[in-house]
Amino acid sequence: MKKLARRVINQSQADLRARIASLEEEVQECRELNRRVAELTDVVTEVLAGVASDDQARVRKALEAYEAGL
Amino acid sequence: MSSRPTDPAVLGVVVDDRGVTARSRDEVILDVLFDGRRIWSFWLHRDGEPSGRDHVVAWPAALRTFLEGTARISVAVSRTGQVVFDEEVVLGDGEGRIDISDADGNPLALDKSFRRVKTFESRSREQMKPLLGAMEEVLAALHGIGVDAFVAYGTLLGAVRDGTFIGHDSDADLGYVSRHDHPADVALESYRIQRALTRLGYRTDRYSAAAIKVYVSEEGGITRGLDVFGGFLRDGKLHLMGEIRAPFASEWMWPLGTVELDGHAFPAPAQPERLLEVTYGPSWRVPDPAFQFVTPTSTTRRLNGWFRGLRGDRSMWDRRYSRPATTALEPSPFVQAVAEAEGLDARFVDIGCGRGADTWWLASQGASAVGTDFVRRGYAAAQERAQAEGADARFHFMNLLETRSVLGTSALVAATTPPGVRTVVTARHVADCVNDAALANLWRAGRMLLAGGGRMHVEFLTRRAGDGYGRAHRVFAVRPVTVAESAKAAGAVIRGREIVPVGDDADEKGSRVCRMVMEW
Repeated sequence: MKKLARRVINQSQADLRARIASLEEEVQECRELNRRVAELTDVVTEVLAGVASDDQARVRKALEAYEAGL
Repeated sequence: MSSRPTDPAVLGVVVDDRGVTARSRDEVILDVLFDGRRIWSFWLHRDGEPSGRDHVVAWPAALRTFLEGTARISVAVSRTGQVVFDEEVVLGDGEGRIDISDADGNPLALDKSFRRVKTFESRSREQMKPLLGAMEEVLAALHGIGVDAFVAYGTLLGAVRDGTFIGHDSDADLGYVSRHDHPADVALESYRIQRALTRLGYRTDRYSAAAIKVYVSEEGGITRGLDVFGGFLRDGKLHLMGEIRAPFASEWMWPLGTVELDGHAFPAPAQPERLLEVTYGPSWRVPDPAFQFVTPTSTTRRLNGWFRGLRGDRSMWDRRYSRPATTALEPSPFVQAVAEAEGLDARFVDIGCGRGADTWWLASQGASAVGTDFVRRGYAAAQERAQAEGADARFHFMNLLETRSVLGTSALVAATTPPGVRTVVTARHVADCVNDAALANLWRAGRMLLAGGGRMHVEFLTRRAGDGYGRAHRVFAVRPVTVAESAKAAGAVIRGREIVPVGDDADEKGSRVCRMVMEW
């Protein structure tokens, strides 16, 4: 009976450890979205205004300034 | 965190080819001096290997190349200066006097990470003036664009503790705390700061989405890089790149005050002692030249997840390209094969162009060529040559680990391609040295550049043999099917693949590359 109880406890501890590890991975995946959001917002903010103007020279200037500031 | 050393008795000190052997019941910080100059400091127990009752601290790799000859070596307890060893020591072959300095004769020492640096302790006050000037200049530029920057880390520590730089330090650190509290806004602000500094004429390098290095030109053509670490307050905690996450009140930060460094006033947090305590622990007032950050995993994970991941092997490539090229700009067999297959009446875009040899060669053959890489220094010589000779070779910065860079630069190259001109994208030894995130961005760039048609040619190592090819190119072998699946997942259609032997002795057992052609 004791052996069985220990096995159950060990198993549930292993399960918990696995769940924590997987939760940690999921949290990290969410954190990594932060940079993606920031990068996309940055490109859109800096470049899209030029693109919307339909002025090719302005688009190019905006893109050149963007690349220079990377 | 291990307990900080107190002031124990240090016995049985021996200095020989192995390193420094000493015995102390309690942890102790020891300084090693060569001919009276401090070169290296360590924690005896933390950094040493137990050997009976002794601990042996091996010579760090960064020091070993110098250790052939004779020197007066002293070992002293860092905190008290008590000398526990002082003898003329013969190391290695014993020829000549040991001279720990760089090729230009500048004295070197090891920093807290055991890296070779030109530490401040060997410089006079006069020699420190350019650094003070550079700090004042960058801080003024940051304040001018609305960033409340201040001196941080070791620079702040030295200022508060002694009103001067710390002798065993080797660089100056600046920081700022954003008024934003969301990491995405902090990153966006950091991008804006970098652009503003670029517009002011500064060269910069991005280290993470919240930290940059700003380069300042000094007299005599010397360029100095100053680190600017971004931070923010959230949920009552200060987060500051690259090591800090700790409870912190906003009134400890603002309004900024000042501290003095060698008689110059510099901006500092309102209560600098608070920042020093969360940076270096409660005993920050006691000097520790061997101090190492013990950053909690949860802090590292947060800062990594929010801001990091855009450097990859950048330091290695920086080092590689800081050396002059050993060969002239010779085209690779790959680019010659691509040119033969595609003809030269196209616009070629080489992603990961390195030194730009293939880009240069294509332009010299009459093609329009663009090279991109995340190390500007790599293609600088080819760029200069192209400009001087009027060749149609352009170079752009593109970091495959930064999506905004891939989007921005790909759009720029596409926008500068004349209508009706076919585009050919090449990427040689990229798929075999980058991570999944960068590979996804490689395909993203290909897809953007080929929106109007054209093909992408990639070459990557697929069998790494013992012939040195993989090591020379800093690449690992990848399976063609892995690369093909990854490209297909990004919408590519594979049009062809070929396995080609490479290396000096290209035989059946040698290294092989795969050349793959795709379209979108």
